[in-house]
Amino acid sequence: MDNNYAAPADLGRIQGVALGVGLLGLIAWVIGVVVSGNARNVFFQTYLVAYVFWIGIALGCLGWLMVQYLGGAGWGVVIRRILESGSHTLILMAVLFVPIVVGLGNIYEWTHKDSITDERVRELLEHKSAWLNPAFFSGRAVIYFAIWLGLMLILRRRSHKLDETGDPNLIQSAQDWSGPGFLIYGLTCTFAAVDWVMSLDAEWFSTIFGLLMIAGQGVLSMAFIISITVILSRREPMSHVYQPKHFHDLGKLLPALVMVWAYFSFSQLLIIWSGNLPEEIPWFIERFKGVWRYLGLAIILLHFALPFLLLLSRDLKRNARRLVLVAWLVIIMRFVDLIWIIVPEFEHGHQKHLSEYLIYIAATIGMGGIWLGWFFWQLRSKSLLPYRDPQMAEALAAGGHH
Amino acid sequence: MAAEIQKQEHVDTRPPVMGPGHNFDSLTQKIIDIVLMRGFKKGWIFGFAIVFLGALMLFNTIAYLVLKGVGIWGNNIPVGWAFDIINFVWWIGIGHAGTLISAILLLLRQSWRNSINRFAEAMTLFAVACAGLFPALHTGRPWVDYWLFPYPNTMGMWPNFRSPLMWDVFAVSTYATVSLLFWFMGLIPDFATLRDKAKNKVQRTIYGMLAMGWRGDARHWHRYESAYLLLAGLSTPLVLSVHTIVSFDFAVGIMPGWHATIFPPYFVAGAIYAGFAMVLTLAIPVRKFYNIEDFITMRHIRNMCKVMLATGLIVGYGYVMELFMAWYSGNTYEMFMMKNRIFGPYGFMYWLLILCNVAVPQLLWVKKFRDNLLVVFIVSMFINVGMWLERFVIIVMSLNRDFSPASWRMYYPTIFDFTMFFGTIGFFLTCMFLFIRFVPMIPIFEMKTLLPESKVDEKKVEELVSGKGPLGATPLPQFGD
Repeated sequence: MDNNYAAPADLGRIQGVALGVGLLGLIAWVIGVVVSGNARNVFFQTYLVAYVFWIGIALGCLGWLMVQYLGGAGWGVVIRRILESGSHTLILMAVLFVPIVVGLGNIYEWTHKDSITDERVRELLEHKSAWLNPAFFSGRAVIYFAIWLGLMLILRRRSHKLDETGDPNLIQSAQDWSGPGFLIYGLTCTFAAVDWVMSLDAEWFSTIFGLLMIAGQGVLSMAFIISITVILSRREPMSHVYQPKHFHDLGKLLPALVMVWAYFSFSQLLIIWSGNLPEEIPWFIERFKGVWRYLGLAIILLHFALPFLLLLSRDLKRNARRLVLVAWLVIIMRFVDLIWIIVPEFEHGHQKHLSEYLIYIAATIGMGGIWLGWFFWQLRSKSLLPYRDPQMAEALAAGGHH
Repeated sequence: MAAEIQKQEHVDTRPPVMGPGHNFDSLTQKIIDIVLMRGFKKGWIFGFAIVFLGALMLFNTIAYLVLKGVGIWGNNIPVGWAFDIINFVWWIGIGHAGTLISAILLLLRQSWRNSINRFAEAMTLFAVACAGLFPALHTGRPWVDYWLFPYPNTMGMWPNFRSPLMWDVFAVSTYATVSLLFWFMGLIPDFATLRDKAKNKVQRTIYGMLAMGWRGDARHWHRYESAYLLLAGLSTPLVLSVHTIVSFDFAVGIMPGWHATIFPPYFVAGAIYAGFAMVLTLAIPVRKFYNIEDFITMRHIRNMCKVMLATGLIVGYGYVMELFMAWYSGNTYEMFMMKNRIFGPYGFMYWLLILCNVAVPQLLWVKKFRDNLLVVFIVSMFINVGMWLERFVIIVMSLNRDFSPASWRMYYPTIFDFTMFFGTIGFFLTCMFLFIRFVPMIPIFEMKTLLPESKVDEKKVEELVSGKGPLGATPLPQFGD
């Protein structure tokens, strides 16, 4: 069987646009950082937001890659190459982690526990310093990346070998790796979420936080995948492959994940709010003030209510053009949610001028250019479908289920 | 090129969802024979006698409890909640498999659910009935339990809407109602089959009334299908909501070991875990006894094992998070709670829990074990016990040693705690025995849809419509003709 699923030529043009916009973002970021007057802090803090956003897509792609092998469903085959390219960017993200280690002191309060005057807090940080110290923090990051890159490379090798040999045992092998792989993935993502995001407020803790961040990256990456499939579906050769039923399947996964995310967020809020304990509630009190209150309301309405209601419609899910609009809304709201989670920790009650928040947007666009450049480079380098997968026929079969 | 790929046959290596050699007739006959047979099988009578004794034990305990009051149980301050709530949560959890199988797997179009859904739904109903007994009796004055419902009354008294215990009343009663409707609706076409095949007047009358005038009309089917799908949609949130609210009973308070944000998803996963373990515990002997291995095949067993493994791992993840966060929080009470769980006076219960819920189920990773019925049965027994232990660990161990050492007390169950608990198991199994004997435990009409005869031959339909077939253009019969 021939492989006629080479990437369309103008994907290179899209890659170029992404890189160009990214470059503008980088320039704006640099200007913003310089003008802010607090260059070191602002640089590293905006960097963290951008980093958590983009690694969310990369990790989400790795998670979906394993889930689609485990589920063995038709929707997985048609997006597998997107997932592989997305998870390949973890190599880039591993390199981009270095600045975070350099800027630990500018990002995390626990790095300078000795200068904290409140004795109670200092004692608490002393207790936590067995976990939260620069050496162990960096060591754990090395372990996380080793595991993620290992899983990514194992699955990738099997998929590419399948293109060469067509041996269906490779699928079985990928499946066998995905079960335990997903378990380790869940644990490493959880602890990464604790390390990189939760420890920003070193006093605060929430047992659901890891699951919440995993659900968040699941939503974000699914919205990203939908956007890419829509771009591909307008071009040869994928215009013959993607059918309404594929968008329907992806369009069902998106609201399912939105609901899971909302369920986790609501559980966390209700339990902490009802308990009203001094070690937990300050995290929310901070976020119920000033601009954060309105951002929180926007998250409820635009990250949950609106996408959920829109995606109830069967017609919308089967219509790529409209589905992608919802996907973009979700991507933007994921960014807003991350801002809402991370940025209040850098303010300590002193609200910044609104224009300073623009630097976060510039940073995310800037890093996004590099990330997307890597992603499209990967996507272009291989056939857009694992065309020798035994499930291909089922996935491509015309007509509609449901 | 795409067409070329489509020609490739996809070889399905999974075992079938139904044994070979069945047609519409043999399938119907095999299932209704269990229900319409004359007299009773010896094994059935023997088993029923034993479990009915258990049910009688329950009735006696309840009578004595109402007479004397809840003081006959072992719970007392500070352990005000013990077996009653443990058993309540345990039974409610077991019910979850039914809702998951019937609603979510239906929406996901997993056709393998067709043979086990009714069985699991019946289990849900009986489990919820057992669960409801405990809080209803724990109120101490069960004859005024209707005060739990908000209704305008001369006392000017309303339930506290901020209390998750109040939400429980709504969640569980909704759950019971929707599950009953779902189960009964699914039974109507099969009751009609029983009515039509009845061997005597009594059977015909009873099943006839239950069939509610079902004639198998196209319009009946049309409405049935839409209503069934709608009920499935309604039940889906219930799979999550009921156990989420049960978890709020604990998590909304500030007791260390209860107040954890992970409780909702962790409880829901635990419920599904326990539910599937119970389905397997019952289905493995039943399929052997009634010789229905054709209908509940190895495919079902395997799939259920996988669901169990996945949910069990989520539960294990919950244990890991509790451990880690208890230390990471740096909170004195949280850290003490965890130490007390592991090394305290009830510490052996924690280790048993880890053995039952985390260690033993890892056997299910191995395909050979998933295919071995004895291993699967033993693993599910371990999980049944483990899920009970989990609730004991959470509830009793947090209460018996709370914030102030002066108020610490040990908790010991009395004989009535045990007669009540084992009594509900007897009652549950009594209901299951009656269900298996008098109601078709496998949905006949849904199984028929799995037969090759029921597949629409699309080519033939296309030929008919386009007029290219040997018959020429034949108008298809229209709905309402």
